[in-house]
Amino acid sequence: MNLLIKTAKQENLALCPKCQRVNILQSQPQCCIRCKGLFYQRKPNSLQYTLAWNIAALLAFIPANLYPVMIIYSLGIDEPSTILSGIGQFIDHDLYPIAAIIFTASIIVPLLKIVGLFLLVYRVYTGVRLRPDKHSKFYHVLEFLGPWSMLDVFVVALLVAVVELGFVTSVSAGPAINYFALTVIFTMFAANSFDPRLLWDKTVDHLVLDQ
Amino acid sequence: MYDRPTLKQGQNVKCSRCGSTIIERKVDSIERSFFWSLAGIILLFPAISLPIMGVTLMGQHHQASLLDCVLVLIDRGFFMIASLVFLFAIAVPIVRLFGAFYITYSFKFNKLKPSLLSFFRAYHHLGHWTMLNVFMLGIVVSMYKLLDDTELSVNMGLLAFIFWFISSTIASSTLDQDYIWQTLEDEFVD
Repeated sequence: MNLLIKTAKQENLALCPKCQRVNILQSQPQCCIRCKGLFYQRKPNSLQYTLAWNIAALLAFIPANLYPVMIIYSLGIDEPSTILSGIGQFIDHDLYPIAAIIFTASIIVPLLKIVGLFLLVYRVYTGVRLRPDKHSKFYHVLEFLGPWSMLDVFVVALLVAVVELGFVTSVSAGPAINYFALTVIFTMFAANSFDPRLLWDKTVDHLVLDQ
Repeated sequence: MYDRPTLKQGQNVKCSRCGSTIIERKVDSIERSFFWSLAGIILLFPAISLPIMGVTLMGQHHQASLLDCVLVLIDRGFFMIASLVFLFAIAVPIVRLFGAFYITYSFKFNKLKPSLLSFFRAYHHLGHWTMLNVFMLGIVVSMYKLLDDTELSVNMGLLAFIFWFISSTIASSTLDQDYIWQTLEDEFVD
């Protein structure tokens, strides 16, 4: 790695996050000379915001898995199902691909996002074993995966609307779906408030110190 | 740091270190995006108002469209998921579609205004929150869920929704952001 690499931060330059225009910084926050949007060179308190949204997401994820996401009424008998029991039903019917999709979207992705962001915040904060190239790719994967967790919310919404046959069968949403939607939204906010440029700062500081 | 080269259509710039694309000049960006977003706007009405699918069980039949979906959810008191479905699967995609249409329209007919700068910034902002692709997958999953114990019927709405989804995705992906920013900058920023 080139030790004497010049960074935009040292040159007092920054990219506008909205229109990708290079700006010479004159104030904080800087008003972009092209799109007139306000931005900072590094998002202020980025780590704190990420951590806060992340904890909120984790807290909301607990009731999201404990309570039923939907309740199926058929001939007067109600049958609640949680996220995990819904996946179990698909496995019982031998629909493994669908079960895998739901399991990924509603369990793996939220957990991966929460754990991954905790890890990124920790690494940035302490600077231990920080690998900016790997970690920034990881961050972009996390950011891309976020919206896919809304899958379960949309499935429940569709089922409630379509299956409405009065006494014969009807579906109603359980309390967990609200918590689950909150988890997804909180993790999206957490990912948005994390500033991936912070990953590169620590290494540069270290390199400067090492010299 | 790199100096900025001038590009022709279909060319792109790659970083010599990590190989990722820095700038890409897309072919016929404005034309393509204009017509795809026009198609999207036309398809929007059938996609939202026609029933997507229906179920039949013991002689009873019920079907629902995207709009019904929101109305039923409000009716039965699930305000939170109703508003989420409305926002992410209806409102934001529609705003994005009209936004892309307006931007490409002003570029195509040379009606550039300074207000386009902030308009395009707002357009960019909404990018995170369109979830038509997720909703599409949601439709597939719920169809599988209904297949076991009910008689499922697919309606015209599904076809319209698929085409709406395709055209709005292409409309936003063909839109060449860098070209638009560069043109607007040359025009209005001194």
